[in-house]
Amino acid sequence: MIEAALPGAEVEVLDQTGTLDHLEAKVVAPQFEGLSRIDQHRMVKAAVKERFDDGQIHALSIMTEVAG
Amino acid sequence: MADPQLKEKVEELIAANPVLLFMKGTPEMPRCGFSMRVVQVLDSMDVEYGAVDVLPALQPLREVTAEISDWQTFPQLYVNGELVGGADLVEEMFDSGELAEALGVEQPEAAAQAGAPAQSPPLQIDGS
Repeated sequence: MIEAALPGAEVEVLDQTGTLDHLEAKVVAPQFEGLSRIDQHRMVKAAVKERFDDGQIHALSIMTEVAG
Repeated sequence: MADPQLKEKVEELIAANPVLLFMKGTPEMPRCGFSMRVVQVLDSMDVEYGAVDVLPALQPLREVTAEISDWQTFPQLYVNGELVGGADLVEEMFDSGELAEALGVEQPEAAAQAGAPAQSPPLQIDGS
């Protein structure tokens, strides 16, 4: 989902609890260039919003980095 | 569409408190590991802050903060009226010293240790 929203992004998702609903995402994307970190997080959250809304994800840790 | 009265109240709170945390539970008894992490960061910095427990009105508050800040998850830390972020960004900015700068306080000694949880977050099961 994140990759579809941010083409060219490198995404690594870790399941923190083994229950598939507390996830950690590391996202490295060229689209982050020039954005504040809070806007980078907003982009990642927007990409996975559907999964939050339907309750499949309960918590998501996000780490973002600009692809260089 | 967020409740206009609640939105007005939230905007007043953000304007009236230079450092304001919306969290699940209270600083004394956080009800979520993410909220607890932000409380620990703030407590380690010796900074005064207001805290709002969002649990009694979770969904209405999500709608309000979505409109105000384009952010729907809690915790949310506001400094001087601006959203700093949730737990991940607060910790990142604490580690880098940016949070101390934004708050106008000294970066505490041994920042790395101060950010570490005093105890394991509740109901976390190690999946590895």
